[in-house]
Amino acid sequence: MRKSWPISIDMPNLLELQMQLRRAVLGGDTAALAAAVRCDGLDPAARLRIYRNHAFATLGAVLERTFPVVCRLVDKHFFAYAAHEYLREHPPHSGCLVEYGADFADFLAGFEPCLDLPYLADVARFEWALNVAATVREAAPLPIEALAAVPPERAAGLALRLQPSVSYFASGWPIDRIWQANQQSEVPTVDLARGGARIEIRRAGDAVDWRRLDPGTFAFRTALAGGLVLAAAAATAAAEDPTFDVAAALDRVFGEGLAVGFYFVDQRCANLGSTKIG
Amino acid sequence: MTKPPPLSNCNAGIGLRFPHVAEIAATRPHLGFLEVHAENYMAETAALDRLLELRSDYPVSIHGVALSLGSAEELDRIHLDRLKDLIERVEPVLVSEHLAWSAIGGAYLNDLLPLPYTEESLEVFCRRVGDAQETLGRLLLIENPSSYLRFRHSTIPEAEFLTETARRTGCGILCDVNNIYVSAENFGFDPIAYLDALPGDVIGEIHLAGYHPAEDVGILIDDHGSRVAQPVWELYAQALRRFGAVPTLIEWDTNLPALEILLDEARHAQELADFHRYAEFA
Repeated sequence: MRKSWPISIDMPNLLELQMQLRRAVLGGDTAALAAAVRCDGLDPAARLRIYRNHAFATLGAVLERTFPVVCRLVDKHFFAYAAHEYLREHPPHSGCLVEYGADFADFLAGFEPCLDLPYLADVARFEWALNVAATVREAAPLPIEALAAVPPERAAGLALRLQPSVSYFASGWPIDRIWQANQQSEVPTVDLARGGARIEIRRAGDAVDWRRLDPGTFAFRTALAGGLVLAAAAATAAAEDPTFDVAAALDRVFGEGLAVGFYFVDQRCANLGSTKIG
Repeated sequence: MTKPPPLSNCNAGIGLRFPHVAEIAATRPHLGFLEVHAENYMAETAALDRLLELRSDYPVSIHGVALSLGSAEELDRIHLDRLKDLIERVEPVLVSEHLAWSAIGGAYLNDLLPLPYTEESLEVFCRRVGDAQETLGRLLLIENPSSYLRFRHSTIPEAEFLTETARRTGCGILCDVNNIYVSAENFGFDPIAYLDALPGDVIGEIHLAGYHPAEDVGILIDDHGSRVAQPVWELYAQALRRFGAVPTLIEWDTNLPALEILLDEARHAQELADFHRYAEFA
């Protein structure tokens, strides 16, 4: 026989109660929920604060682990404040917390107290790309010989699939030098006037690798990563660097194990779909 | 792929934490099993590769912390599918989750939040456990939480809520002895009566951990940041008498010490379990 317990009345149903507890944790608004919490010798608001403090402390620590240089640039206390403001508006969607913080850089870009550090959001973008590369496995590279199967009349519509871990990142600031300087205990001066950087970031075995690229190579690879066909990517690179050598650049893309597949984009309806063969 | 070893008579294990992985891989300490938090291995990280290497030498237990089985909303299918993928790769000996909820309205709050123990919650919770077990194709162990608040409209004692969940869904119970002690101190109930109210035949695992007293509010916080406290060892001995020697885990998540300290705690748990076995046969 099924057991039964007394039925409670005049209390929020489960969904209402959980939405109220969410507001208490993220927003500190405990008024609605306090009436549903037993005192047991302590103010319900103080009990709710235990959960609120735990959420902010642990999720703040997650952001600090993912964005250590941002944290160092603004100092720990300010970082905790920024993380707090971010968390309220952008709580994680899942418990896989290594994936939390995708839009932290965008948040910092618009966060008024940070506006005197104009490179901060780009440092966050760089650290996010490092984090993504650390959580995505390298796929088997495609040998360049695979392109021999491409019929010449289809070459114009050829597009490459690159390593899923790779990202391309340009900034008007020397983000890589700022990042590197902040790996040391005594931070050396970084000359911001020396200009920006075009950076490739990818997984390399267990580690994450990044390096600067020249403008032509950067434009070429960024275009390929964005799904442009080879001819269009070559034109983009040539616009950056008139001496750009497409054949040599393509050799390097394959030689570095960056290409993992290819497909054809129908030039007449490039936005409508593609035929995947590799 | 090599099959993981089964759980043996050595039934004390430790939570595998990133800073200890290299030392465990190099020294292969004698342990009953390793337990990992599912969510730390859902991305394709180097840590996952290390776990997949260790699983050929150690039974692995997967402990989920974010499935949010107690949410009023449907389960997060993406999260559940990722858990299923991980289970297929790791082939764990145990898979566990919590009597708690963590996410609502698309926000994951990174805590094991308390449920009101009502008929409504019981129905919701059992439905979610059933859904998860069906998708995963295996039974879960459900862990009793530690808590810092109780809802006025709760009508079902927690141990009964768990027992009824096990009866309706077929799930097992992960008995966290530290959680019982922490909640008992926080709310003034008898921890031994709680143990006695659990059905002994479905206890699949025991958790042990440290707590710390938050003196300003007079509450024990289950922070997994210190050695197991003496009264919790005593309650563990009681649990052994009640449930027999089941796989027992030393959990340590904050203020992580040297591996040797965790191994020492696991040895102590093993000694108590061995003593219990000896006493049973004597």
